[in-house]
Amino acid sequence: MPERVEEQERLWRDEFSISKADERYVNRRQLAKFLTLGSLGMFAGNSWILIRSWLREARVYQRRVVAKAGEIPVGAVKLFQYPTPGEQCILIRTAEDAYVAYSQKCTHLSCAVFYSRAHDRLECPCHQGYFSVKDGSVLQGPPTRPLPRVILERSGEELIAIKMEPEV
Amino acid sequence: MAPRSSPRKFLQQRRGLTAIDAITALIVVLLVVQIWLLSATLDAYLAGHAETALPGAIVSGVLCAACIGMYGFVRRVDRDSRPNR
Amino acid sequence: MYGYEFYVDPSRCIGCQACVKACEECETHRGHSMINFDFVDRAETIATAAYVCWHCEDPTCAQVCPADAIKIGEDGVVMSALKPRCIACENCVLACPFGIPKIIPEYELMMKCDMCYDRTSVGKRPMCATVCPSQALAYLRPEEIAARREKPSNVFQFGNQTITTQVYMMTPPGTESVTLDITEFMWEKTNA
Repeated sequence: MPERVEEQERLWRDEFSISKADERYVNRRQLAKFLTLGSLGMFAGNSWILIRSWLREARVYQRRVVAKAGEIPVGAVKLFQYPTPGEQCILIRTAEDAYVAYSQKCTHLSCAVFYSRAHDRLECPCHQGYFSVKDGSVLQGPPTRPLPRVILERSGEELIAIKMEPEV
Repeated sequence: MAPRSSPRKFLQQRRGLTAIDAITALIVVLLVVQIWLLSATLDAYLAGHAETALPGAIVSGVLCAACIGMYGFVRRVDRDSRPNR
Repeated sequence: MYGYEFYVDPSRCIGCQACVKACEECETHRGHSMINFDFVDRAETIATAAYVCWHCEDPTCAQVCPADAIKIGEDGVVMSALKPRCIACENCVLACPFGIPKIIPEYELMMKCDMCYDRTSVGKRPMCATVCPSQALAYLRPEEIAARREKPSNVFQFGNQTITTQVYMMTPPGTESVTLDITEFMWEKTNA
């Protein structure tokens, strides 16, 4: 028998061994290999975050008019899209002259948050995560990160979104 | 009458088995730590705190290197316990 | 294991078939006896021989199984076929030089003696060795079998294949290995 065929024969007889102990060993070894690859994957994930943090240039935000002052009554909300179409944000008129706006994507699992007038807070219906209207910080629930805030500028009667904080 | 060589062979296989069981358990522990580390680093990065990215990546790299080292150790034990394979 | 070995002496077999019946009682193989019971030459003689699986060190049945259903355990006992894997292809039946494996068509499974592993793994004797009145099938320590005139041999020669088994055959003293030429037992040779 040629040597290469003999080598292959020996290999499959090892990998699919008739001995119980060998078979158990091979299964364990495959599991250890799989876990090690998983570990490599985790490291790749962390490296990706690192590279992203190095390569990211300061994002340039467009200025967009999102609403007119007085368009919505006190305690009401308006939904708009900022900075790109498809990224929902929520504008809340908290007082006569006070407007705040946040990204509507909950920082837990991206459900849409809504404004609860009764409790004066932003609530996520999926897992009961509540955010403060004042600064978007987490009041309770599974979210760990505060809600990204849209910085508004009042220019006459227009409310202009100028950037997001933190930068996303 | 041929002498029975089987008991010694089986004992060697069992040594490889103990080693690989221990190594697998250790790798699992390190992997769990790495999973947590990735989720924590990602969370911090998305919240705007990018300064956690570098230490997170370094520690993850150390843990990954430890896992690979242990797996290599298992391979060596296997080769030693079954020299004809 | 536990210092006991299995010894087969066909010359002591009296044909009572107690081993067959005892093996049948075990629930793990649903009332099928795993003893290979032979009438040696029924027309000419009343001689009988009872065999168990020889538990070879490099089992031919396991080597040829396409489904990897036959496993050898850590103490050298060759297990019966695993039901989830066995496809009843009968490769092992054809391959075994001793003719031990049996196919049960209703179960689509090969079954064979596994040295009563549930008993021998905890130090008990296999059922057949326990009930054999003439101890043709015996499960003893080597020093106990040394008292017999026949000597145990566990090397078999089948053509080019040398097989070393865990079960010993009692042979005349001085036998190096049990050499069998199958062609000598073929019908063409014996009835030419």
